[in-house]
Amino acid sequence: MNIVLARIDDRLIHGQVATVWSKVTGCQRIIVCDDEVAKDTIRATLLKQVAPAGIKSHVVDLDKAIRVYENPKYENEKCLLLFTNPTSVLYLVEHGVDIKSVNIGGMSFKEGKHQITGAVSVDDKDIESFKKLNEKGIELEIRKVDTDKKVMLMDVLK
Amino acid sequence: MFGIIVGTHGIFAQELLKSCEMICGEQKNVRAVTLIPGEGPDDVVKKYEAAIAELDCEGGVLFLNDLFGGSPYNAACRLVIGNENYGIVTGVNLPMLIEMCSAQMMDDGSDIMALMEKAVEAGKNGTQTFHASQISDDEEEDL
Repeated sequence: MNIVLARIDDRLIHGQVATVWSKVTGCQRIIVCDDEVAKDTIRATLLKQVAPAGIKSHVVDLDKAIRVYENPKYENEKCLLLFTNPTSVLYLVEHGVDIKSVNIGGMSFKEGKHQITGAVSVDDKDIESFKKLNEKGIELEIRKVDTDKKVMLMDVLK
Repeated sequence: MFGIIVGTHGIFAQELLKSCEMICGEQKNVRAVTLIPGEGPDDVVKKYEAAIAELDCEGGVLFLNDLFGGSPYNAACRLVIGNENYGIVTGVNLPMLIEMCSAQMMDDGSDIMALMEKAVEAGKNGTQTFHASQISDDEEEDL
């Protein structure tokens, strides 16, 4: 699998992803990798309806995501991976998925989270996972769309 | 680079541009022109001219108007009739504006006629329907 973009965005497939990122990455598939969303049939069904024209969209749990990644059938497929949180990304990385950079597009504010930029809020678990990803040398950049200037997450986490 | 002018009745144009920027980020070569109650086509023509003076319009100007036959459209016609690099598309909506902003960013040298056609297509394709009965469980689409 050719991962053209790994993005954390808890809105999953929405305007910025459907119109901007799908185009600039030239992806063939958008794969939502999340245990909770995969269990939620209504949300999963709706996500499959909003794939941009010409792009297939899928919702899989994390173990399935790893199997798909390892499947030689998709070796040359350009895939955009979407996550709702960094802990899921870390799980994939720890299971051998080669992700070199993570784009953080949006993590909404909830009780118990604190806002680090306009679009990104994190809790302790998120911070822990981001630190581990950072230790592995993975770039963690905050950008809503590709023309935005990259803001390094570790710089604003301090 | 071609310039984009969104011209509408009321502040629709301004707000549409703001909505577009929520998705595509800040747009530097796009202007919103509004016709507010009490103004006529002459006022709008002046606003269009001022917008054109500010924009990079080397590749032409694309007017996106809300209503065919409305005053913002009629005013745009007065400018478009005298310049072959200018064009108008009516029925502006968010998908159309996003598509044109992304075409502007790519700046592939398309002429105004090609851009107009692309805008029309994006505007039409942006109109979709959804109803529970349309859900298909396409097994072959599974990974």
